[in-house]
Amino acid sequence: MASSASRFDDGTFVGFARRHVFVTMFGVAVPLLVFACFIGYPIVYTIYLSFFEWNGMAPQKKFVGLANYAYLLHDKYFYIALVNNAKWLIVSLVFPVSLGFLIAYVMKARLVFAPSLLRTIVFFPVTMSLIAVGLMFLLILNPVFGAFDTLLRSVGLGFLVHEWFGDYRIALYTLAVISGWAFTGMPMIFYFAGLGDVPKETFDAARIEGAGHWRMIRSVALPQLRPVTAIIVMLTLFESLRAFDLIAVLTKGAPFGMTNVLGYLVYMESFWNSRFGYGAALSVVILVIAGSLAAVLLGKVLKGAFDV
Amino acid sequence: MSDATLNASAMRRGSFASVLPKLAATLLMLVLAAVWLGPLLLIVMTSIKSNAEFLAGPFALPRSPTIQPYIDVWFGLGFGTLLRNSLIYATAGSALAVMLALVPAFALSRMNVPGRKWIFGLLLTGLMLPQQTVLIPLYDTLRTFHLLDTKIGLIIVHGVYGMPLQALILRGFMTTIPPEIEKAAYVEGATDFQVFWKVILPLSVPGILVGYTLNFIAIWKEFVFGLVFLNSEENFPVTVGMLKLNSDRYLAVFNLPAAGLVISQLPIVILFILTYRQISGGNLSGAVKG
Repeated sequence: MASSASRFDDGTFVGFARRHVFVTMFGVAVPLLVFACFIGYPIVYTIYLSFFEWNGMAPQKKFVGLANYAYLLHDKYFYIALVNNAKWLIVSLVFPVSLGFLIAYVMKARLVFAPSLLRTIVFFPVTMSLIAVGLMFLLILNPVFGAFDTLLRSVGLGFLVHEWFGDYRIALYTLAVISGWAFTGMPMIFYFAGLGDVPKETFDAARIEGAGHWRMIRSVALPQLRPVTAIIVMLTLFESLRAFDLIAVLTKGAPFGMTNVLGYLVYMESFWNSRFGYGAALSVVILVIAGSLAAVLLGKVLKGAFDV
Repeated sequence: MSDATLNASAMRRGSFASVLPKLAATLLMLVLAAVWLGPLLLIVMTSIKSNAEFLAGPFALPRSPTIQPYIDVWFGLGFGTLLRNSLIYATAGSALAVMLALVPAFALSRMNVPGRKWIFGLLLTGLMLPQQTVLIPLYDTLRTFHLLDTKIGLIIVHGVYGMPLQALILRGFMTTIPPEIEKAAYVEGATDFQVFWKVILPLSVPGILVGYTLNFIAIWKEFVFGLVFLNSEENFPVTVGMLKLNSDRYLAVFNLPAAGLVISQLPIVILFILTYRQISGGNLSGAVKG
């Protein structure tokens, strides 16, 4: 990727900076400064704050050492939220990601009529705010007036009717599936673009070997799409760690914190319970989880996907 | 393209084997279309029903469509202000993100910046950072600069957090511009700035438009920042203002919240129709490929 400008470069940053003042200023210095203020400093400050007790108002923060972390280890709600995050991630990987792949494949293979129409329909919710999506399903899944339960009853599946947001055993899955509904379009377009990049000869060769669709998916498409899958898994992972909006608009963690996830627990502890130090400690845990998962993915699966 | 090849693989194995996957796929797709389109259609249908018609059940067709729910919810929630605010945040925030990202994208795609792996790492960090983890310090920072509960404060936050994705999208786009073009400019004695301004920038307009549109939609959808950094209703974006719809006052009859949902999504529907081809064309995956 050497450009013509690089003929001046002697490899050191100072050398580069002296030759390319404009680029160094606005391409490196300004973004770094903005990053330092709005992303770097907040991360450092969060870590710092996690060693203090602070109600957000008092001028003095009280140093408590690792007390916030010690508390965290015994906090029932932390574990519930952690497990919920894992459940949420699994639902997200199973439902929107594999379905997104399936849709992309059948469209690419021209197995359906009007593939572009289907693509549009499935992609549209990606552009909707999760607040709107949440409110929409609040209406649809309403136990009295909701369309879904009405439909279940009318086809004789009335025994499946539930308090979708009230039953502590299923409320979290309801939320995760709704989020999956809104997210499916994303893996779909990634896989669709990825399938377009697979060389035609690869599929031709498999066809000559007499491969059916099942084998085609398993032995050709999926291995070829490994980098795409890695990116999608990464996206899904961070989406699930960010899960917030649906919970805020639909359940607020209720019933009994059973639908709480880490991303919402941080907000509740900080801004509702005014325990900013504990909120910061929870944030650090999220950062550690996100960071280590990203490191593992970037190091192993994604090798080459972000080559520069 | 592999389209025909994929399908042909089944074709050569007798007619039954070729029809079966197609039939199964079509059935599956019909179900999927219903699952994805159904809720949206039901909401639009509910939004034009009168209170009496609503009680007839969710699947009853509206006999005498009315726009009364739209009028009621518009004034009840103050949608004029909410839409205007969201429009301001999305327009200005995405513009800021693109402006911040243009020169870094230029540097990363056309030049051998020493340490660019680190710059890339920072961009990815900014992209993946769960926003909830930095709410407290950001809240503090905004308070220090007296930007809490102001439109300009939220615009800055949106701009900064939109910038990493913009940089990746623009870099991906700029990488596709052939180097010969700027080589000629350099031979003529052009400076970096002139090459950026007169050569690369004009050629990047399509990429900029895609990035801007995606960012616009992202800010329109955004909720956490608006919820935490704003207190006054006159500053609320649509997503925060809409929370009120989940209250007994609005949920007595569903036509009002349904109408509110449609209103909140309408600007994006228009944008979606205008730019669908560009934003769904896998441009995001292009951003992360080399």
